Amino acid sequence: MELEKKIIRYVAPAFIFVIVAIFIYNLASHGWIPHPGKSTYQVQCAQCHGDKGEGIRVLIPPLKSSDFAIQNFDSIPCWLRHGISHEIVVNGQSFNQPMYPIKLDDIQVANVINYMNKEFFHSDKEISSAWVRERWKHCEQ
Amino acid sequence: MRFSLFLLLAIIYLTGCNSGGDKLPVLGFKTTEVREVNGQQVIDSVDYTVPGFTFIDQDSNTVNAATLQNKIYVADFFFTSCPSICPKMMKEMLRVSDKYKNDNRIVLLSFSIDPARDTVARLKEYCGKLGIVDSKQWHLLTGNKDSIYSLAKQYLVSAAEDPDAPGGHIHSGNFILIDTQKRIRGYYDGTKEESVTKLMKDMDLLLNEK
Repeated sequence: MELEKKIIRYVAPAFIFVIVAIFIYNLASHGWIPHPGKSTYQVQCAQCHGDKGEGIRVLIPPLKSSDFAIQNFDSIPCWLRHGISHEIVVNGQSFNQPMYPIKLDDIQVANVINYMNKEFFHSDKEISSAWVRERWKHCEQ
Repeated sequence: MRFSLFLLLAIIYLTGCNSGGDKLPVLGFKTTEVREVNGQQVIDSVDYTVPGFTFIDQDSNTVNAATLQNKIYVADFFFTSCPSICPKMMKEMLRVSDKYKNDNRIVLLSFSIDPARDTVARLKEYCGKLGIVDSKQWHLLTGNKDSIYSLAKQYLVSAAEDPDAPGGHIHSGNFILIDTQKRIRGYYDGTKEESVTKLMKDMDLLLNEK
């Protein structure tokens, strides 16, 4: 009886404390809740544009603070769907390496654009999958 | 007494694990050959080696066995219009090139598996975009398509035309480390930063190998 009381009084709170500590540690080490577009970005975009959106020299344009992407924001869903096959100028530098179409659905595109917005375009603007579907209707292809 | 015993055990422990760990394996199937030593026939194993080739690089220079004499080299297969893994491979190869620039014991070779489109002019333009200046160390190569495809096979990596793939070709993203005797000493995933960091460690080991 004494032993049971001791367990309830000391061991159980310690146990809960450890569980909570592990939970917080995991969240902290894996980043608090990751952005839903982050994994798509890392799998589909980061190969060329880099984890931090830095691009590759003069071969692949950067996304980070890209004036071209920010000024032509409404075209991003079309670029993802159809690629880009002409020369573009990003932050004063000309790039001419084809971008290939990427197979993503409207929700994935919305998530990945919101992720880029936050990480690279310094904007809090959030777009929806409905907006992506609407933009797709106006692609120049 | 007890302390010296501890010291002895510590030395055995610390040195014991190192033996053999600092030498890279020789990869590929070994074959056997019969040789005559002092009038007696002996069977000896022969390491797998990669064959020679003659291709043209971005500066229209011929690259062949003479270029690679006594060099350690890293090879990969790519093409300039490759949309998927090549840009990342190039970015990783740039790290290798940056680390070993001015080291004339090292050569880097990137074979184009789309030589019809990847002309010398196009390779040169691609080098410009990547900022590859030292064409004596890093050669981007073009030549006869069948020779390049058969060479990929002999480097034990895959390369093929595939109309369904983006860019029309599929190929392995491996970096292959070859020693001065043309033996394969390692494969590394050229799209992964940690794997290429391992490659550079292994290159240092290989440079110090006697």
